[in-house]
Amino acid sequence: MGQIENILQFIGVFVSFSIAYVSYRGVRQTQSSSLLRLATAFVFLGFGFLVEAFAELGQFVPALSLTATAVVVGGLLLETTGYFFLAFSHAVDVVLSKRMGAALLVFPIISISGTQLSNVLSILSFYFVLYGVVETLYSYSRTRKPDTLLIATGLALIGVGTFFQWLSFLYQNVGVLTLLQIILQEMGLLMLFTPVLRFRIGGVKVDGPV
Amino acid sequence: MAQYRTQVRIIADVLSTARDQNTEGTGVGVTTLIRKGNMSYTRMSKLLSELVGSGLLVELNGDKISKYMISEKGIQFLAAYSSFEDFAQSFGLRM
Repeated sequence: MGQIENILQFIGVFVSFSIAYVSYRGVRQTQSSSLLRLATAFVFLGFGFLVEAFAELGQFVPALSLTATAVVVGGLLLETTGYFFLAFSHAVDVVLSKRMGAALLVFPIISISGTQLSNVLSILSFYFVLYGVVETLYSYSRTRKPDTLLIATGLALIGVGTFFQWLSFLYQNVGVLTLLQIILQEMGLLMLFTPVLRFRIGGVKVDGPV
Repeated sequence: MAQYRTQVRIIADVLSTARDQNTEGTGVGVTTLIRKGNMSYTRMSKLLSELVGSGLLVELNGDKISKYMISEKGIQFLAAYSSFEDFAQSFGLRM
């Protein structure tokens, strides 16, 4: 099962960096701060998956024995930072339109979460993704764009995956939880990949920033 | 509910006006750009200087007033902006 997890982690790396690349191209060509935050989010997520994948790989390759808790926590920290930026992108939109995001009300619940750092990071990720889902659904209610609904569904799957991740820390003897978590997160990430597929990779270019 | 425009959105709006209002091919006046762009004269003047400087707009000097026309680079910028706006909207974000 470890090998499947490892492959799925590397798919996560590819999808995250692809989205980050398209967003970065958008930043270069339009100087958009929204796309900058999106690129930052997926760079962190990509590195988070990469660190976790190498930590997993350490189980099979003794030379890469990176299974130390610190490495796993490091990967989780990167991932959580990525989800934070994903939520933060929406939060800035909320501030810009002087509207209070209702989903922010769920944040105080974080304070009663588990004491271990991994647990805290997982539950933080869950809340960040949850906030992203609510804001994306709100955006969908305005634009009625099918892609936006797809992204909201993808984020929801990632959120449920993150919840399973938290459960897997609590019930470490139930191995299927980790696999479920990764499958759900990968399905979610693949949904996030859809706009990248629709995007023209060789699109128009402007020489230099505006 | 008020929607605040980002700088890149303002630039795209000005360029769109310069493209769409230039029906006779003689350029668009500052008054039209101000009216359609919903900006003050001072702010628009500064922005127009920047856009001409970066090659997105072309300034056509008439007898009394200057007119502005979108450049090839400006058209490319609008196409790129449109693609990336679509991409950002997919993630529920505004450009």
